[in-house]
Amino acid sequence: MNLQFLVDGVLSGSMVGLGAIGITLTYSILRFSNFAHGDFMAWGTYATLTLVGVIGATFGATAPLGPLSFGWPLIVAGLAGMVLTGLMALALDAVLFARLRARGQSIIVVMASFGASMALRSLLEFTFTSRPTYFSRSIQMAMPVGWGIRITPDQIVLLGMTVVLVTAMHLFMTRSRTGREMQAYSQNAALARVVGIDVARVVRATWLLGGALACAAGIMVGVIVQIRPLMGLDLLLPMFAAAILGGIGSVPGAVLGGLIIGLSEAGAVQLIGAEWRQAVAFVILMAVLLVRPNGIFGVRER
Amino acid sequence: MTGPILQVDALVAGYEPGLSIVRGATMQANAAEIVVILGPNGAGKSSLIKAIAGLVPVTSGSVALDGQEITQVPAHQMVRRGLAFVPQTDNVFPLMSVQDNLRVSAGVLARAEIAGRIDEMFQMFPDLARQRRLPAGSLSGGQRQMLAAARALIVRPRVLMLDEPSAGLSPKFVEMVFAQLAEMRRAGLTIVLVEQNARAALAIGDRAYVLVEGRVAHEGPAASLWHDPIIAELYLGQRKEGAR
Amino acid sequence: MIDLLGYAAFFLSTALIFGLIALGLNLQWGLTGLFNVGIAGFVAIGAYTSALLTTPAVADRIGGFGLPIAVGWLGAMVLAGAAAALTGFATLRLKADYLAITTFGVAVVAQLVALNAVGLTGGPFGVAFIPRPFGALADHPVLFNFSNFAVVLAVTAVTYLALQHLTKSPWGRVLRALREDERAAVSLGKSARSYRIQAFAAGGAVMGLAGAVQAHLIGFIAPDDYVPTLTFQVWAMLMVGGSGSNRGALAGAVVVWAVWVGAGALTAALVPTEFQARAAALQIVAIGVMLCVILLARPQGFFGPTRRKAKPGGGDA
Repeated sequence: MNLQFLVDGVLSGSMVGLGAIGITLTYSILRFSNFAHGDFMAWGTYATLTLVGVIGATFGATAPLGPLSFGWPLIVAGLAGMVLTGLMALALDAVLFARLRARGQSIIVVMASFGASMALRSLLEFTFTSRPTYFSRSIQMAMPVGWGIRITPDQIVLLGMTVVLVTAMHLFMTRSRTGREMQAYSQNAALARVVGIDVARVVRATWLLGGALACAAGIMVGVIVQIRPLMGLDLLLPMFAAAILGGIGSVPGAVLGGLIIGLSEAGAVQLIGAEWRQAVAFVILMAVLLVRPNGIFGVRER
Repeated sequence: MTGPILQVDALVAGYEPGLSIVRGATMQANAAEIVVILGPNGAGKSSLIKAIAGLVPVTSGSVALDGQEITQVPAHQMVRRGLAFVPQTDNVFPLMSVQDNLRVSAGVLARAEIAGRIDEMFQMFPDLARQRRLPAGSLSGGQRQMLAAARALIVRPRVLMLDEPSAGLSPKFVEMVFAQLAEMRRAGLTIVLVEQNARAALAIGDRAYVLVEGRVAHEGPAASLWHDPIIAELYLGQRKEGAR
Repeated sequence: MIDLLGYAAFFLSTALIFGLIALGLNLQWGLTGLFNVGIAGFVAIGAYTSALLTTPAVADRIGGFGLPIAVGWLGAMVLAGAAAALTGFATLRLKADYLAITTFGVAVVAQLVALNAVGLTGGPFGVAFIPRPFGALADHPVLFNFSNFAVVLAVTAVTYLALQHLTKSPWGRVLRALREDERAAVSLGKSARSYRIQAFAAGGAVMGLAGAVQAHLIGFIAPDDYVPTLTFQVWAMLMVGGSGSNRGALAGAVVVWAVWVGAGALTAALVPTEFQARAAALQIVAIGVMLCVILLARPQGFFGPTRRKAKPGGGDA
């Protein structure tokens, strides 16, 4: 067996895992599965793409950084895109989710996220058409690293970015005041109010972080694969499966779940063909639901 | 002596509109006093202190803390006003360590104060200090109650309200919890206590209210209430059934 | 004039098939409170099952058994119902969201199988030569459209009456009680789950039937017919009509389909060819926004029961 699938699996697992963090936070803190999360990812990527264009128009063409396919504009635009995506999630919460949440029926919020997802995705199709596009059209040479594995400089940098983001996120959740408040709120919402935790603050942080990480995952997809309005929808099922596999509410679980799904997908692609990739997430999801619905790190079911 | 620390007037509250559980309760708690709230099952004792804490919607009536109206203050602001509450169940964050439980509960304090206050709690409850890194969910029932109390006390509240702190505890632990409450009162804390265990509660209480169908049916000094025949009929009959 | 009548018959046939799907969804959501985001998947299962059972044998594809249409429809209901039962079995002891996520997965997988299991489903080219009831009349378009409409109308009427009956039966009352009162669900314990699985499977079977009827109405199916947009459309229909009411489901289907077709015709006439894909996208944006607005402003729908308007969200949803 060709070991190249390890690189592919870890890469796509990173995209899924970064996205699944947002899903698992929304689920454990706001108590609903957000079907629009994939579209946050797509919107964030298109926002970044637009910003790269704006920077290019303002400062002229820039050289790529070293062996990479992109230059500093993408890094600046990406950071701004992450902020924008978080703000967009916040805005959608204000006009839609928060109002429905106040009525106390979580499944109605799920339905609204479903409607919003359709509207958001089609709005992208309307604005940018469904034609795929790219951050850069330059072709990168993959470098051999031994055991028949090859990797491109872009891929190395993006894996590094994932490690940094996941570590930062973990430290934030366990060491910062807001992170601990988010944990507390997800474990016991009523008690969180009793100890003086401001729910509005927790909700804000959840959307900002979930949106920003979705954007980061989207940029990764954009750099490595391509940018399409449907890119988020395609990752939605793997992201849900990863969040449930890792145990709802667990950030490390979501990342680990993403890696497991990414590696299984890459393995399956070698064995049964790329066209069945999406089915892998479904099989894993069903297996988890039947055997261990609380996931790897989950301990409770509410 | 100034007015009462906690003043509740004709409070009406309930989860659903038109379905009040607290139906016009009036009570007060003075400085450094333990007030016990008794009553048969379903009398609305628990709902009364939850309504005071801002957790059950209040339809009418008022709650004042130190002369300041706090009736419609959101629940998460109550701690900042000096009112702490310990729920009966689910009163710790189970997946967080003991230390993080305290830290997250001290969030309303100034950053510089937090570490000192946590140490203070660990001195007060040495059992917790030994388990500081364990998840709260793995503590025994008694230790969990202790953590819940420490979690409330860490902000040095003016009024501490507890919902059945003795529920599910062994007699030895009940004794310990109540001894600790008595000591806190001596240190100047005002305590409002909802209890099924009337004998133990009245033994440390200063005054008591008996709640029936959401209203105060009886009140008086704790010591004399224990011997009141009406109480025996209204409440203790129920209790004996409940206590087996 | 005659052409117009023929078109009206065809339009109503399509609308009623959507109505049939909406009836299935109403049984799942309106009556039982079970959230299905994979409607397109269950419809596809029904369509492909019936197509494979009834088409004449072909060389490069499994299936093509040339069975009577009625057998195809029955098979469609059984298989779609079984898929729904399995989905319910795996998820209905868990939180409601898990069912939603899993049904979404079912639709994804159904789409994958339709696209990639070329030997079974014909791949992207789909299945053709699906026998049509009254196919002999195909030379008289008007008569043909009307006879087709009669078939669709009959199937819809029978399904509607059966569902009305079920809703009022003791079985339907248990489902309603389960949805409205968590204590009832707890007291029924394990059999509560069984009731919910039954309702979900029955709804899935109705969706499968609708898929089959449509396949035989058009005579040709392809994976593109079963994309998530279909799921959205049916949800919009049920929400416009008012969930909980079978009549509302049918009315909502006709209204939303009329608006959809009208908007499509309008864009085709007014919008230059190069912008038509964009206009179609905008049409979907409109449905999504409408769904959200209905949830926010009028959760009981426009034809739904109005007496319980005080309960927003899902008291009657």
